Amino acid sequence: MMHVQIKHNLPAGFDQRQFISELMKTYAIESDRPELNRMAIYDTFDWRLFNKSLVLYACGNRFFVRKLFSNEIMHGFEIKRPPVLLQDFPKGEIQEFLAPILKMRALFRLVDVHSRSRAHRILNQDEKTVARFVFNEIRSTREKESPVLDAYVLLQPVKGYPKYFRNLSKRFKEAGLFASENDDIYFKALASVDKNPGDYSSKLNLTLIPDMRSDDAARIILGSLLQVIKINGAYIAKDVDTEFLHDYRVAIRRTRSALGQIKKVFPHETTARFKKDFSFLGKLSNQLRDLDVYLLKKEVYKGILPVVLRDDIDPLFNYLRKKRLNALKQVVSSFKSEKYRQILHDWESFLNEPQKDAPTTSNADLRILTLAQKRIYKKYGSIVEASSRALETLDDEKLHALRIECKKLRYLMEFFSSLFPRKKINVLIKQLKKLQNKLGNINDLRVQQQYLLHISEKLPATNQKNKKAVVAIGALIGSLDTEKRMLKNTLPQAFENFASPDTTRIFGELFSPKYSKEVS
Amino acid sequence: MTTLALYSNKGGVGKTAAAVNLSYLSAQTGAKTLICDLDHQGSATYYYRVKPKLKSGTKGFIKGGKKLIKSIKGTDYENLDLLPADFAHRNLEAAFYKLKHPRERLSKILKPLKNEYDVILLDCPVTISMLAENIFNAVDYTLVPLVPTTLSVHAHRQLLSFCRKMNYDESKIYTFFSMVDGRKALHRDLMELVLNEFNGALQILIPYLSQIERMGIERQPVVAFSPKSAASKSYENLWSKVRETILSPAFH
Repeated sequence: MMHVQIKHNLPAGFDQRQFISELMKTYAIESDRPELNRMAIYDTFDWRLFNKSLVLYACGNRFFVRKLFSNEIMHGFEIKRPPVLLQDFPKGEIQEFLAPILKMRALFRLVDVHSRSRAHRILNQDEKTVARFVFNEIRSTREKESPVLDAYVLLQPVKGYPKYFRNLSKRFKEAGLFASENDDIYFKALASVDKNPGDYSSKLNLTLIPDMRSDDAARIILGSLLQVIKINGAYIAKDVDTEFLHDYRVAIRRTRSALGQIKKVFPHETTARFKKDFSFLGKLSNQLRDLDVYLLKKEVYKGILPVVLRDDIDPLFNYLRKKRLNALKQVVSSFKSEKYRQILHDWESFLNEPQKDAPTTSNADLRILTLAQKRIYKKYGSIVEASSRALETLDDEKLHALRIECKKLRYLMEFFSSLFPRKKINVLIKQLKKLQNKLGNINDLRVQQQYLLHISEKLPATNQKNKKAVVAIGALIGSLDTEKRMLKNTLPQAFENFASPDTTRIFGELFSPKYSKEVS
Repeated sequence: MTTLALYSNKGGVGKTAAAVNLSYLSAQTGAKTLICDLDHQGSATYYYRVKPKLKSGTKGFIKGGKKLIKSIKGTDYENLDLLPADFAHRNLEAAFYKLKHPRERLSKILKPLKNEYDVILLDCPVTISMLAENIFNAVDYTLVPLVPTTLSVHAHRQLLSFCRKMNYDESKIYTFFSMVDGRKALHRDLMELVLNEFNGALQILIPYLSQIERMGIERQPVVAFSPKSAASKSYENLWSKVRETILSPAFH
């Protein structure tokens, strides 16, 4: 059985034949027939596997998962058709392994490379294989003329015959072949098609300078969001997974939030116009996103229902799927409209305008650090104040308003996080995120209840199946309501943490103008 | 992890040929497989071209542990290792008798190997005494090749009554037909009898074929050197049957 094999890169002009005939003076060698293989590498659009240092690749129908920089296979399995979504993988171990990594994202076949490999076996007196070495050549196409991406020889020991392996290692070294580490064909393969692993992430990753003018900083933030809008917008029509639309919408929401929250850096009319425009853009896909969310929740909903009702609810999802197809068509055609194109065109031109020396608005030439601190600190204070009122009644509307304020604060902190000590601000963002998730879930449950009630009236009650579905929907609404009430009860504790003296102190340290004056 | 013994209380029934071919087929499915050659004649070891020598003989074998693991050899095939036989194994029975808990020793010896492999196959020598008891205590299932002759059937009855007497779970003992000559009416009649009489009788037969005997010249499993032959087909059928009826809970 094979265990640790060692990769040796072949120097340019290395003469394989010469090398083998030299070895044949000492060893009996039998050569296998050369093997041609095609290897395809897969990952999601946002590099979820790469970010976990994993490589998913296929040779024909056989798929493998390994760690980057390692040849050891963690999972191997066969699939008839190339997988796109998680459910395309065989049920069991591999699906469970990939589920938390891929979630709802689709896989793309990133690159194909072709390998030609030939194994040579060292035999002992019994003509038993006691070591192997395999020459490999990797090219981007099958043609022999295409450039070689990687050429190497793997030296493979056979268990129980360490002496042969040791002696061969020595011979390899003498022939100028050295063990190569920190090297993975993954990178060369992707580079051959101009792909750069990890180059897209939906997370904001900005570096701002504290002394920057505020309007410049705002342009950087908004420009990077525009990139996310454009990249993801281009994929929505292709309908590969729901995450393109999601990332697109988050970027639009962040743009609206930035326009509203980074106050008085652009002329009033400009800000007002684009706020209106982005609100319009956001609305275009509201229905489609809602339907995506319901369909993604299918299994969760079924899990909530009593077993006897589980299959009864299927007509609901069939109905939603049809509706979603229409909604997608509408979104795609709206993206092609003149108005849509004009808005994005004007916005891009505005962001690319050269800086005006004489600022037209009061905050334009303020240092961005000062403006960021002011805005974040103020927002935090107003949330702490509003929260005590909302928590008194736990009224749905008030909690919804509070949720939106929390979101604005989180976006502000994310836009400006590069201006503050990373550890401290990340702790605050994480805490805020927890709270926001709770508020978000409560709101989602509320909206879902209303929507399901509305849909149950729309389902044509002509056949028995739909009637049963309505009963199941009723049961679902009941369960969602119980869940909402339970969640609401945990809110006061979550807010107590958020408004605690400790958290308030850190907010003060980072963002209070008074405090920062003292330190400077 | 599953351990499976190829066992018979009668000699010359095709045990080793079955163990060698089944271990190869198991490894081909991707399961990490170990074949342990417990027979001092070392036929399985010979077929896989390995020297019949353990690092410290039967003594070391009885001790188990790291030294024994070091004796394991990789075969010419991916996923398949072999624990070689040793001529000193002819004294294995006697060595077991000297121990405090003589009946459970083999189980103890195999324990550390169970983490390393998905399937462990034992190629056993002919025995129905201490070593047999060790085997039944160590493995999950036992597979007995049965030549459809009167004496073989008689020997199998003897084995089952031995198991009943010693309280070994009879339902874990399976048989298949081996070295079958389809031209003989007696073989056909006895096969029918066996299928009716024994619960664990698998409806699989390995014919008497010269291809199987060629293994001694080729020193490879017949399924490796002649994969399209009738002999290979019959071992493949046996392996599928073993997988679905015996191993299926261990595989997914």
